[in-house]
Amino acid sequence: MGKTVLILLSIWLFIAAVPNGPKPAPKAAYRVETIPMPDGLSAETGAIEFLPDGRLVASFHRGEVMIYNPKNRQWSLFAEGLHEPLGILVVSNSELIIMQRPELTRVKDRDGDGKADLYEKVTDAFGISGNYHEFNYGPIRDKDGNLFIGLNTASPNGGVRSEVRGLRDTVGTDHPKQMFSPVPYRGWIMKLTADNKLVPYASGFRSPNGLAFDAKGRLLVADNQGDWVGTSPLFHVQEGRFYGHPGSLVWNENWRGGNPFTMPLPELETMRTKAAVLFPHGIMANSITQPVLDKTGGKFGPFAGQLLIGEMNQERIVRVMLEEVDGQLQGACIPFLDGQGLRKGNNRLAFAPDGSLWTGQNDHGWAGAQGIQRIVFTGKPPMDVYTMNLTPTGFELTFTQPVDPAAATQPDNYKFRHYRYEYHKTYGSPQFDVQAVPVKTVTISKDRRKVTLTLDELKPGLIYELTLGEIRAANGEPLANKLICYTLNKLKR
Amino acid sequence: MLALLLVFVIAGGARAAVDSTVTVALKAIHGLQFDVVRFRVKPGATVRITLDNTDDMAHNLVITQPGKREEVVNAALQLGEKGPAVNYIPKSAAILWAIPVVVPEETGTLSFTAPKETGVYPYVCTFPGHGFVMYGAMYVTDGVLPPLKEDKAVPETRRTAETTAQAGHAQHAPQRFHPYQPEPPFLYRIFMPDASPAAIAVSLPHDVSYCWDAGTCRLRYAWEGGFLDQTKLWPGKGDTEAKLVGTVFFRDKTAYPIQIGADKQTPAVDFKGYQLIDRYPEFHYTVDGVDVYERIQAKGDASGLVRTFKIPKAEKTILFITEPTDGMVYQSSGGRWEAGRLKLSPAEARQFTITMTKKAD
Repeated sequence: MGKTVLILLSIWLFIAAVPNGPKPAPKAAYRVETIPMPDGLSAETGAIEFLPDGRLVASFHRGEVMIYNPKNRQWSLFAEGLHEPLGILVVSNSELIIMQRPELTRVKDRDGDGKADLYEKVTDAFGISGNYHEFNYGPIRDKDGNLFIGLNTASPNGGVRSEVRGLRDTVGTDHPKQMFSPVPYRGWIMKLTADNKLVPYASGFRSPNGLAFDAKGRLLVADNQGDWVGTSPLFHVQEGRFYGHPGSLVWNENWRGGNPFTMPLPELETMRTKAAVLFPHGIMANSITQPVLDKTGGKFGPFAGQLLIGEMNQERIVRVMLEEVDGQLQGACIPFLDGQGLRKGNNRLAFAPDGSLWTGQNDHGWAGAQGIQRIVFTGKPPMDVYTMNLTPTGFELTFTQPVDPAAATQPDNYKFRHYRYEYHKTYGSPQFDVQAVPVKTVTISKDRRKVTLTLDELKPGLIYELTLGEIRAANGEPLANKLICYTLNKLKR
Repeated sequence: MLALLLVFVIAGGARAAVDSTVTVALKAIHGLQFDVVRFRVKPGATVRITLDNTDDMAHNLVITQPGKREEVVNAALQLGEKGPAVNYIPKSAAILWAIPVVVPEETGTLSFTAPKETGVYPYVCTFPGHGFVMYGAMYVTDGVLPPLKEDKAVPETRRTAETTAQAGHAQHAPQRFHPYQPEPPFLYRIFMPDASPAAIAVSLPHDVSYCWDAGTCRLRYAWEGGFLDQTKLWPGKGDTEAKLVGTVFFRDKTAYPIQIGADKQTPAVDFKGYQLIDRYPEFHYTVDGVDVYERIQAKGDASGLVRTFKIPKAEKTILFITEPTDGMVYQSSGGRWEAGRLKLSPAEARQFTITMTKKAD
């Protein structure tokens, strides 16, 4: 482009990605590889997605949007100067819709030189106060062409600029320890209709860093532990509902006025919709991020149709299995991958056309890491819990491989306890009602893939945490993950 | 809620001859750090530590035996599902004292008698993921501390002397913030002073820069002598805005500089985006529904700005309004100036340039 000069544009990197296992039979089902990053890039990854041609597009906090060609390992610059781009929706090889701090922007390369030359506003019909915590997430597109974005609340550790964009609320701001919503529609999930109207869709979010659709097109949104959020949740988000953080309520069109933080707790409790899945803090995850649906049809192993979700604080990606019980989504979470070379800071996940899972890492002042890694299914079947389903009297576990019945039929190998987290304004929550739940009976299916457990008692409103013992596959392989947590909102009749 | 703010008082076996209590005020700050990364106490001193959590996530503080920080951090990681119940503090002989989890904006306190054995006693947050970066060192000694630069007991990023502003520091090799070196013209969308939060900072050749505000659809100000202090640009957590380098030579003081037709004062504006033309942004916005395109370049001698406007579908007279006290001399490619207002016919408004030159002092 003209005389000017972007010195690098492409960098040839000699460093091969780092495989964990040599060619002979893989030891593990998954292998973690590290993607070489361009020299001089602060690789705080805000978003990753794949272009139709198979190249990766990634955005970073300092405003760069870069494209990586996995075939020749070259990086090139596509766009620059964006304000904290945290989400990308791919339109074509030359056109992206990017969520940045001040707006949702269509970024387009019109002349085919590989660099964007048009930055077109898609919408900026939401407020920004300048508070550092007002991150914006998404967009994701439903089958009807609507886009969904998430607007983080403002942090009490930051302020509000004297000049803001949007109306300014000062009533709900007067509460020093709470995340708040100084301008519309902080703390909301917004829907951008096909005719380009941005409408408030659901409220009550604190830090909704991760939107996705499940296999049935249901909108799922992750939130982060903090005030009013006892432990990190994954919500099934439906239009008009409220998901618990009161800050956003000041922008409800039927808002009665006053400070939502002073509302009586029972009233808030009846208004809110509970999480489909809770991720016990410090146990499963501290700060969950982007969910992604495994649509690889087996290229990534046996978990097609389930969700994987990133975790910031630990070297972990979590797997989520959902089911509908009594008309509501609920389900279980289990570590998917721990360590094995995986870093912390797993902020964004995306599947490549070849079925490998890429993870964009970020820290930006929080616990985390920087860079991009990819996780490859080696073809060796994992030994893991495939699904955990509620029954009227307990749970049914399905394993990815037939189990050795000797250990799998021992009740001692299934240690349950239940607990819950409080819904309150205090930051986080201790566990309440912590209690071991004895397993009464264990039965195993003929094909030795299913184990049915009956428990002493099942109570709604609790997390059932299961720690598995020395259960092995029929071929002797140990379980990859032994901790699994089921969020029981509704009993199965 | 459990009482998280327990005061742990551990009386050491032997009674130490102590003078008065030494109080150490620590803060957990953003970026997984303690604000103080080392301090010194005398052997046997009575010590009181307060941990004020000013961060937006929970932290604890664990003091370990010398050299045992990583061992304890790893043991904390192994707690797994048992972590929350024990405040992420593992059972370990290597742990001397601890402040349980302190949530944001709370303060935890710990009092103890310092060991008689001199040594470097690490303190660390053992929250999962934090312990490898969030730590410091308690020196139990009568002597002096090693130079901070060489102190392996504190995180590497904190081994620099108290970095007070080194504004006058000569520019060595320009610090790189990207995998490329941006050459003007280029822009950042970034929080800027004296603008809405939807500001755009543009660096032009000749060390001229300007701030265009996508929130209010107007040029806010321009400055010369540099661009932005990059080190303030991307700090991560906490409120921030970019810092200008150089001197502001123009601020738009009008109510709004463009008027479509008669004499309406505050028009409705809407930002549409920008395209890059030879890397210069050409802003697109509407004023009372009429499309306006604006591209700004630096005068070749750096004495001002050249603004190229296009209002291709103008149907009414267009006014470009200036403020006489703004320190600029205005010239235009067309239209008639009347008392600081440029009047353009719809035909003239299709494309016109306004040259703004700093008045000689």
